[in-house]
Amino acid sequence: MVATDPVRVLVTGAAGVVATTDVAEACKDVNIAVMVGGFPRKEGMERKDVMTKNVSIYKAQASALEKHAAADCKVLVVANPANTNALILKEFAPSIPEKNITCLTRLDHNRALGQISEKLNVHVSDVKNVIIWGNHSSTQYPDVNHATATINGGEKPVRELVNDDNWLNTEFITTVQQRGAAIIKARKLSSALSAASAACDHIRDWVLGTPKGTWVSMGVYSDGSYDIPNGLIYSFPVTCEKGDWSIVQGLKIDEFSQDKMKKTAAELIEEKELAKSCLN
Amino acid sequence: MAKDPVRVLVTGAAGQIGYALVPMIARGVMLGPDQPVILHMLDIPPAAESLNGVKMELVDAAFPLLKGVVATTDVVEACTGVNIAVMVGGFPRKEGMERKDVMSKNVSIYKSQASALEKHAAANCKVLVVANPANTNALILKEFAPSIHEKNISCLTRLDHNRALGQISERLGVQVSDVKNVIIWGNHSSTQYPDVNHATVATPAGEKPVRELVADDAWLNGEFITTVQQRGAAIIKARKLSSALSAASAACDHIRDWVLGTPQGTFVSMGVYSDGSYNVPAGLIYSFPVTCGNGEWKIVQGLAIDEFSRKKLDATAEELSEEKALAYSCLN
Repeated sequence: MVATDPVRVLVTGAAGVVATTDVAEACKDVNIAVMVGGFPRKEGMERKDVMTKNVSIYKAQASALEKHAAADCKVLVVANPANTNALILKEFAPSIPEKNITCLTRLDHNRALGQISEKLNVHVSDVKNVIIWGNHSSTQYPDVNHATATINGGEKPVRELVNDDNWLNTEFITTVQQRGAAIIKARKLSSALSAASAACDHIRDWVLGTPKGTWVSMGVYSDGSYDIPNGLIYSFPVTCEKGDWSIVQGLKIDEFSQDKMKKTAAELIEEKELAKSCLN
Repeated sequence: MAKDPVRVLVTGAAGQIGYALVPMIARGVMLGPDQPVILHMLDIPPAAESLNGVKMELVDAAFPLLKGVVATTDVVEACTGVNIAVMVGGFPRKEGMERKDVMSKNVSIYKSQASALEKHAAANCKVLVVANPANTNALILKEFAPSIHEKNISCLTRLDHNRALGQISERLGVQVSDVKNVIIWGNHSSTQYPDVNHATVATPAGEKPVRELVADDAWLNGEFITTVQQRGAAIIKARKLSSALSAASAACDHIRDWVLGTPQGTFVSMGVYSDGSYNVPAGLIYSFPVTCGNGEWKIVQGLAIDEFSRKKLDATAEELSEEKALAYSCLN
């Protein structure tokens, strides 16, 4: 068996601390970049302060990636505010194709699968096609309207199987939105294990393709699908094939969902404005 | 058709090594990508909330192979039905503690866990002790779980083995996967003996002895040995924390090779119950070179042991005999 050539994978923030090392050396020839490094929010810091710090980091790293990474380098931004950091990175690395810059909402996606699997008492691998729309923040919208679960060999809509719209429209949503805080409360530390695992899932599916009939959630550059404003990094349902993602089109969006999707888009626009103001 | 799940226990699961280890197990690194697993995680009551946080994260990771998670502070519940037990939990040495104090605490822990495993684990459960003092903890466990076959109780020296491979690969500028058959003899402590006398490197011209390629006996008999022995301290110095990533990875390697077998022509290091091979006293848990097949390990026999090595093998055996005596004195 002939071994495949090695792929170079960059992980920033790899020591879990804010450190300066040689970013050019780090970015050189990388095929995949997972940007975990960022300035964490500390007690007493305003949103604007966190944003300012991170905007500088992502502007600098955009530049380095653009100059030194391999052609067609795939970028995944994990550090918060993930969507906006990714947007800054995109703006300052204009020669990196916009399709190659993404942010992580797979963690939220997997959390949603986990919550449904626990509610239905089925294995998590038997649940699929939840969607995380929007910002990787508390305005994210975990949507089960197109999700299915396989029970006794048959695929059925999650909404039908759960049979509790009230739960699905309230507690389920807030549980997924606030899961990060719940982990911090239990562990006294952020989710590391599950975030790392989700980063692997995101890249793996992007590079190797999603299984037939299954989609996943990725924060990607909006093309206006589903009336979401262009020019934001927004989490959509996507399938992946031959190393490219494409937004699943034609899904019916009810009024409840539209409202949620708009709210998270509005927050992203605010963040974009705030980020721009930090640069001036 | 999917395989039946294997139940894997990790004690001390809320700690650092546990946090690195459980996702590896859930992803199939320990038992293979087609082996479903059920994780049993045990920790002490003060860590219960943190342990629950780990369980939540395992749910959040949506691992296809993970068929269930039991997170508990009840040792009986933790041990029930387990096929593999990785004992990471133990009392760490704190500043000001004497060896005897650490030994005393750990002897009690391993005595009671031995009892629970013996009563509740599945038949033929394979046990790997990681918590230090690993060899002696494993020995205590063996003594107090007499119905667990001695061949099923081991301790981790694979970390030291992998570290030795790493040092040789760096010295020679080769891939670590091209280096094999180093041996870690003895105690997982600073008296361990990393031995390259039978180690080889895969080269375009075939397999060549490490000693020949390195061509620096002074280094191999001096700095190389101390580097491997003290690597744990070097990691603590750099990270301000113990080796968790590499220890977890080594635990997976140890179990995987034990269960799935070692590759042809390759041996690995495991702390196992001595049968007197190589004139090592019987009745100690001592690290030997082993091959694995059909779920069992076998000490590699007939390797030539030079005088330099003989002294080192004996010194680490002596330390283990002392630890054994100390452990027994703590029980009385």
